[in-house]
Amino acid sequence: MLSFRQIKDKIFVGLVLAGTFAALFPLFHIICTVVIMGLPAILSRGLVFFTGTLSQGGIGPALYGTFMLAFLSSLIGLPVAFLVGLFVYEYPESKLGGFVKSLLQIMLEFPTILVGVFVMSIMVIPMGTYSALAGAFALAIIMIPYVAVYTAEAMHHIPTTYREASFSLGLSRVKSVFHVLVPMAKRGIMTGVLIAIAKVAGETAPLLFTAGGLYETYPQGVTSPVGAIPLLIYTLIQSPSPADHATAWGAALVLLLIFIGVFVPIRMSLKEVKM
Amino acid sequence: MVKSMNGKRVRMVLVVLLLVAAGVIVFYPRTGNVIIIRTTGATFPQYQMQTWISEYQKTHPGVKIEYNGGGSGYGQETFLEGLTDIGRTDPPVKKSTWDAFLKTGDKPLQFPEIVGAVVVSYNLPGIKTLNLSRDALAGIFMGTVAYWDNKAIQSTNPGVSLPHKKIVVIHRSDASGTTDIFTTYLSIINATWAEKVGAGKTVSWPVDSMGRGIGAKGNPGVVAALQQTEYSICYTELSFAMEENLTVVALENRDGRYVLPSTASIKAAVSAVAANIPQPGEGYKENLTQLLDGKGNTTYPIVAFTHILIWENINDRHYTAEDARAIKAFLKWVLTDGQKDNNLAPGYVGLPESVAKIGLSAVDSIHS
Amino acid sequence: MKKVDSFKILTAPAVIFVFVLFAYMLFVYIYMSIPIFQWEGCGIYLTNIWHASEIPAEEYYGIAAAIWGSVYTSIIAVVIALPLALSYSIFVNDFAPPRIKNAVIVTSDVMAGLPTIIYGIWGAYVLVPFLRQWVMMPLYSTLSFIPLFSYPPVSGYSYLSAGVLLGIMVTPFASAIIREAYASIPHTYREAAYSLGLSRYEVTRIVAGMIRPAMVSGLLLAFGRAIGETVAVSLVIGNTFNMSISLFSPGYTISSLIANQFGNAFIYEHMTSALFAGGLALFVIGTAINMAGLLYLRRWKQNVKF
Repeated sequence: MLSFRQIKDKIFVGLVLAGTFAALFPLFHIICTVVIMGLPAILSRGLVFFTGTLSQGGIGPALYGTFMLAFLSSLIGLPVAFLVGLFVYEYPESKLGGFVKSLLQIMLEFPTILVGVFVMSIMVIPMGTYSALAGAFALAIIMIPYVAVYTAEAMHHIPTTYREASFSLGLSRVKSVFHVLVPMAKRGIMTGVLIAIAKVAGETAPLLFTAGGLYETYPQGVTSPVGAIPLLIYTLIQSPSPADHATAWGAALVLLLIFIGVFVPIRMSLKEVKM
Repeated sequence: MVKSMNGKRVRMVLVVLLLVAAGVIVFYPRTGNVIIIRTTGATFPQYQMQTWISEYQKTHPGVKIEYNGGGSGYGQETFLEGLTDIGRTDPPVKKSTWDAFLKTGDKPLQFPEIVGAVVVSYNLPGIKTLNLSRDALAGIFMGTVAYWDNKAIQSTNPGVSLPHKKIVVIHRSDASGTTDIFTTYLSIINATWAEKVGAGKTVSWPVDSMGRGIGAKGNPGVVAALQQTEYSICYTELSFAMEENLTVVALENRDGRYVLPSTASIKAAVSAVAANIPQPGEGYKENLTQLLDGKGNTTYPIVAFTHILIWENINDRHYTAEDARAIKAFLKWVLTDGQKDNNLAPGYVGLPESVAKIGLSAVDSIHS
Repeated sequence: MKKVDSFKILTAPAVIFVFVLFAYMLFVYIYMSIPIFQWEGCGIYLTNIWHASEIPAEEYYGIAAAIWGSVYTSIIAVVIALPLALSYSIFVNDFAPPRIKNAVIVTSDVMAGLPTIIYGIWGAYVLVPFLRQWVMMPLYSTLSFIPLFSYPPVSGYSYLSAGVLLGIMVTPFASAIIREAYASIPHTYREAAYSLGLSRYEVTRIVAGMIRPAMVSGLLLAFGRAIGETVAVSLVIGNTFNMSISLFSPGYTISSLIANQFGNAFIYEHMTSALFAGGLALFVIGTAINMAGLLYLRRWKQNVKF
């Protein structure tokens, strides 16, 4: 005969297991659904799915656009983020350092749709065209706080003795940071960069009013409109046509694979991440 | 040891990424020297526009036309901001917006591209035909007719077993020309609607505050929501209903007949009036109501022109000479060959010749 | 003479860039919102009217329904996220064998980073029909006298659908914070408690009680995430100007309102400004909640030294 306390304990363990299961189960369901719905679309269209235009049943321009946006946004965002991260690391006690750190935290949580609207007002309308540049700029704004925070954290993990040693050799701050400490934190910084790229490649809201969309031709340049996979999915999923839905699920599978392909190996090599 | 393994992994991902990026850049099919024309806005003519685009591109490989939806409001805005080449709007542009167009220093031109009909579709399992009187239609969208088995609906559908289920009204969430046409029609046929709700690209739907409204983006979004929601009703363009095999309502027309939307019943509406289209440079003067609630036994009541917006391109303000020539050629084709039966998508009716001519005069006046 | 720090010179432009960018963003939102406050005062936040018109004198915008929807769906999200995140943290720290532990943590992190559009497509085509059939319908048919369930689940697009989807999406964020806090309680505490003959439940209750501030901050940060989410929510919320306590009725959120209407706002005199004011409200609510969450977290980390 179990005592009341033992019963309570059993129920408790059961609830914990159920809760954990409920927290993680959606991911498996999502992956299975996307594979089941997306794979037939891709298989039935073959290579055309990856290279063809939308009317040919492919997502080629969108795929290209996603790579292009990820590349451009890195170009804009990474140098800034890297330097800001170093600044935060170097001046943790100063007022400005603390302020910048808080600013990064706020930007990390900034609703992404607001970034898109902002970039539309300051770039798209003055330029008179949607553009890859505007989309990339919006994504860069989202990327900066991630990479900066990661950079600062990676630097923090270097034992202070190295820092002290390099200063005691008479190296200037610039030299000791860039020649001694940054190389030591390289791996952590690169990780942050890759996670941030994986993150922005999947963003939709910031592109709604900036990238413009381009699905029948390949992008012509950075100042003309460009498509992206998440944006394409968002459009197609709001269409009634079964063919559009099939394309949307196929595109979702491609996006999922890109994300998992970048994120999981990186994640496995780390103790923890911040999203 | 473990650490270096992990370092390798990161490096491997980096290398793979770089290889993929390089592969993408090198091997992707480059679109050579093509001209890209962008058309944005109303989803009412979506199927027609897409048919034109695919037909036209077959014979003109050097031109690619990028179709964007977004609704008439979006079409007007992107046109105003120069974010698209060819704007699409169902209702004629209003004076205030027209003035905003003029402030850019260029001259806007507006002309009809095709005739279509707004249909009322429903999702009632097992029920294939439904007649709605004018009062019942207005009542449903007002929210006063709340259940499918309401007397107002039952009385015009004897023998149909209507369920005692609440009616879900699906409407547009963006500024929509389809909404403008539909609410203008409701204002014509129902005084209470005219007074309490009125007409416009966006209106305050009374059913929303009753929790029975659903908003969806574009005609595609509305149709998708209808398909997923039992016991719902929506308004959309005829071609969407045909393309997606939706059940549509036979509406009571001015002569008290119940008429299903079809090419024939739309043609009847067009022939019932002599369309009065203003000069393209004065598009705001056009009257949206002219094809609505037309006379005749076989006339479908909610018929409208849908319009194209282009710039006259003074001083090459909006188009390069090359683009302007491509736009002119495409639109000229739309207004001539495009109006022929074999280039029409199901659910649309070509323009009367006199109306097409007005469009052609606009196309001719584009500077290139 | 003070030596100029060349490191500062090198990094300053980047810092200034970020600072200016942020200030400019804030400025744009405030500046663009001013006209609507001049036009209708606080009515923009206090009323539920969306009256667009090409005749500016007839325009009136009140986004109370969207603000309510944003807050309500985010509350539902954290109510769902809390028990899940707590169970997960307990499981990871106390029950899971090492191999499973790592897999579980990785899974949660993948969920945190998964593109939101994938949640959106899954939410619209899998979650909404499921909730409608198996949760809303039964609750409505048996408990509709309770105001929360009083609304017939006509379409499935509803506060509940949006809240559940957001709950799934933000659970990993809350989990990460709570798990870390939970792990920071030294094992000696637990061993001491066990040695008193307490059961697992009783020990966990004591430990959970010690990390309450971390739980609060996890919830606040999850709330902040939920309120800013756009595309996934706009696909399942129903997009109607409705204000209701009933979980099954459709509504709007600020971010989905902007996603739906910003594209056509410029043709109306006041709509652009109204949407910027909505964005400002979203920013203020989100930032206030996030700051509170971060403050709580910081204080907990400073005060609790084991």
